[in-house]
Amino acid sequence: MAAKVAKQSRSAGVPGRKGAPEQEGEELPLQAVLVADSFNRRFFPVTKDQPRALLPLGNVAMIDYTLEFLTSTGVQETFVFCCWMASKIKDHLLKSKWCRPTSPNTVHIITSDLYRSLGDVLRDVDAKSLLRSDFVLVYGDVVSNIDVSQALQEHRHRRKMEKNISVMTMIFKESSPGHRSRCEEDDIIVATDSRSQQILHYQKTQGLKKLQFPMNIFHSGSNEFEIRHDLLDCHISICSPQVAELFTDNFDYQTRNDFVRGILVNEEILGNQIHMHVTKDGYGARVSNLLMYDAVSSDLVRRWVYPLTPEANFTDQEGRGCTYSRHNVYRGPGVTLGHGSQMEENVLIGSGTSIGANCCISNSVIGNNCTIGDKVILDHAYIWNDVHISSNVTISQTVVCDRAEVKEGVTLNKQCVLAFNVVIGPNVSLPGGTVISMHHPEEEEEDDDEFLSDDAEVGQTKDKKGKQKMFNPAEVGAEGKGYVWKASSLDDTEDEELTQCLWGLVLNPDPESDSEDSEPEGPDDPVIPSPEMDDVKVVQMEVLGTLQRGLEENISCDNLVLEINSLKYAYNVTLKEVMQILTRVVLEYPFQQQGSLITASQYVALLVPLLKIWSPVFKNYVKRAQDQLDCLSAFEEHFLEQENHWAAMVKVKALTMVFFFLLHQVLKEMYDLEILEEEMILRWFSLEPSTNQSRKLRKNQGLQKLIQWFEEAEESSEEDEE
Amino acid sequence: MPGPYRETDLTEKVEAFLSDLKRGGSGTGPLRGSAETARETTALLRRITAQVRWSSAGDLMEVIRKEGRRMSAAQPSETTVGNMIRRVLKIIREEYARSRGSSEEADQQESLHKLLTSGGLSEENFRQYFTALKANVIEAINELLTELEGTTDNIAMQALEHIHSNEVIMTIGRSRTVEAFLKDAARKRKFHVIVAECAPFCQGHEMATSLSKDGIETTVITDAAIFAVMSRVNKVIIGTQTVLANGGLRAVNGTHTLALAAKHHSTPLIVCAPMFKLSPQFPNEEDTFHKFVSPHEVLPFTEGEILSKVNVHCPVFDYVPPELITLFISNIGGHAPSYIYRLMSELYHPEDHEL
Repeated sequence: MAAKVAKQSRSAGVPGRKGAPEQEGEELPLQAVLVADSFNRRFFPVTKDQPRALLPLGNVAMIDYTLEFLTSTGVQETFVFCCWMASKIKDHLLKSKWCRPTSPNTVHIITSDLYRSLGDVLRDVDAKSLLRSDFVLVYGDVVSNIDVSQALQEHRHRRKMEKNISVMTMIFKESSPGHRSRCEEDDIIVATDSRSQQILHYQKTQGLKKLQFPMNIFHSGSNEFEIRHDLLDCHISICSPQVAELFTDNFDYQTRNDFVRGILVNEEILGNQIHMHVTKDGYGARVSNLLMYDAVSSDLVRRWVYPLTPEANFTDQEGRGCTYSRHNVYRGPGVTLGHGSQMEENVLIGSGTSIGANCCISNSVIGNNCTIGDKVILDHAYIWNDVHISSNVTISQTVVCDRAEVKEGVTLNKQCVLAFNVVIGPNVSLPGGTVISMHHPEEEEEDDDEFLSDDAEVGQTKDKKGKQKMFNPAEVGAEGKGYVWKASSLDDTEDEELTQCLWGLVLNPDPESDSEDSEPEGPDDPVIPSPEMDDVKVVQMEVLGTLQRGLEENISCDNLVLEINSLKYAYNVTLKEVMQILTRVVLEYPFQQQGSLITASQYVALLVPLLKIWSPVFKNYVKRAQDQLDCLSAFEEHFLEQENHWAAMVKVKALTMVFFFLLHQVLKEMYDLEILEEEMILRWFSLEPSTNQSRKLRKNQGLQKLIQWFEEAEESSEEDEE
Repeated sequence: MPGPYRETDLTEKVEAFLSDLKRGGSGTGPLRGSAETARETTALLRRITAQVRWSSAGDLMEVIRKEGRRMSAAQPSETTVGNMIRRVLKIIREEYARSRGSSEEADQQESLHKLLTSGGLSEENFRQYFTALKANVIEAINELLTELEGTTDNIAMQALEHIHSNEVIMTIGRSRTVEAFLKDAARKRKFHVIVAECAPFCQGHEMATSLSKDGIETTVITDAAIFAVMSRVNKVIIGTQTVLANGGLRAVNGTHTLALAAKHHSTPLIVCAPMFKLSPQFPNEEDTFHKFVSPHEVLPFTEGEILSKVNVHCPVFDYVPPELITLFISNIGGHAPSYIYRLMSELYHPEDHEL
């Protein structure tokens, strides 16, 4: 701690001495904020044992690539923020060349268990006031060789010219759709002012079939616009110190996306702008899921990230240099290769690894000190350190983590993951997409919030003793150790999503999961409406949820009204639509609760108390004469719909009669509660019926009796008045 | 504590140099010619000699070898670094020998008798302490530095002997030495230069711009047109990255094509190579010979789908066998390729070939 303080004071002393140049805003050392945490669980269960920033990519921890990128681009001071398994990251960094006194880039490590998002980190940056000038913001899993100095110059120039209006410059890389290193979920569409490079609109396309652009972006500024879909977000941004302040001011900003959206939406109010810089010849990508891991690894082996190549040994570790030969084959020191084994192309083999006879290896990365048996076929395999693979194994597009063991005759199909210490085999074949881990899926909830690695280890040993016999031989083989991660205690749909997430595949973007995605972002989110559902349906679902909660938690009707009103504004639906939705929801409520096979009398019995409870809500919306008519027509529509539905299902004509009766019951109920005035009911009745069905409805006896009764009552009241 | 402070200062310098070398040649780091690299290496070695504590020549050689191994490993394709380290080691050997009073000639001679009698002994001999050694070594390194400063000019001075009026000269890519050579000749003579563009990096374009600014009649052709145009050419003058021990070249991509075309048309091929590019390396050392950079120049990243289906390579160097070369012009005069081995043994001590 003392050392850190001393270092900071030393670095702070430099501009202090110069004083005057600081005023001019020149020649301050370039700083960077490196967030060594992803704040999500995309790499679970792999990241249960090793933080993402330390996962090896081409046998080098990902954070080393990020630090090398920062150093080579001229950053002189880096703040590394760690949260999940902070101690491991810290150990790694202290051992690395970045913390040597001769390093041109001073690295400060700041750890806290309290960071839950990027927002928390930047708020802490602001609170500690670590930054003095523009800084580079990156994640710990970005691999890049982009020279940001040009972007930095543009950024500084803009800030000088326009008095600090531009707060951030995002760096993009040109790459056309269909490129390997573009994954579905990071696809973005960006609208920019082509002259000033100002970003006007930024949106993730993620499975959207319809894109919406706010019109106002086309009215402001110059008259040249670009809408681009050929950009890859490198997740590198040059930020001014204001960014940290903005995060503090807006405590609900969690991610950079929140921030970007917030700035773009409030541009007119706050006057802040975001610009972009498109690089043509650099490489930059973020390893956000295993698909990207695969893509970035192969780009690395194919030398796209030159000079960050495997043989360059830029981390300066002893005995890690390797030799490079044709067809992109890299061999570390002490690699032995058996008779007849072939390394076809794009292969990286770490030091001390031995490979048996007649193997065939292509497009793979193998870590240090692994042993591989005879007749092994590896294609797109990512094998980390100290892995044992026996003979006659076939592995394709699979990640095998440290110290895992694959026994004889095992076949691993595409997109499998073997987490740390797992044993598989012999003679099993894992279906594609299987994730095996030493962590039992059920323990997930137990140590959910335990962030100390010690605890996880205790759990693991306990696990080994207590549950060893519970390994399922059908899944992992007779001598296997490990659990299939998929069969978790969480409900199935969510878990399927989890494995999807690991490899980053969007299998079928069904509307439900889409609405789930947009829900946590709050209802005040007009940017991502799901494509398949129109607003009315969304509102209907929301209203249903609201009313349900109201019943369960006994929320007062005033508050329900407030919530429904906010929905109305959020989705921009008319009052009429709100009312129709409301009536529909209420009338369908008994079906929702009890299923669709209930008799009419049961239905009425259920509906009546509900109507009584929610009558204040209705009263709030049904005020004017027109409202009442709308309400009634909604009723009618609903009952006619229901009738059709039932008739089709049961094909009993008699049921229609039941419904006519039902309608009359419900109408009477509403009348009793004084929501509808009798005059309006009469007027509705006298309206010209539009369809055959509704004409039939009006001829219903029960209804006519009711109407009759109304008419009489009116007459009598008129008489009374007289 | 001035001592340790100065040493960390020194290691900082070494580390900075190493990381510069590692990033070199990609556009991300400072891009430099090999002359500059040679000067920087020598200056750094002078610093090490001056600042590191050493008591005998053996110690100093050990230190320089250790640092040298790291430097040459940092960017194996940049052979000038290794060459300068060997030169400095040779200087130390010579200065030590002179301090002891034995004649330099005796050391230089390689005879069967000497091979039998010496061996392990030679290392032992460097343990003696001489007060003046440090100053002498630094003085000699300074001389080496001045020699390096003058190399390009020395080569350019010989231009008029080789280029005559109304000749057509062909060159490829951009070499600072060749550029200076042609410009020097252009002050007195009028001739035509054809520059092959040297795809995919196209340094030939820069070369042509620079030459035409100095009033030389210049034509740029594609690499594919080399053979077609060769029949009109009187002389081919090229630069190189390294001159190998067998007299062959490791030069920029496309040079081999050019050399073969020149051979076919019996056009003389002249290589302008300063002495510091002479390397005791042989072309069969495959690991360090090649340099593959990002395939971006060959097939841009923006191409999209095709990139996931094909492998793209972008090698930087070509090997040119010595048979195809007519003449080397170095800062000490012209030599035939077959004479290179002799120059090599004068420049470097045989024990230093392996660092």
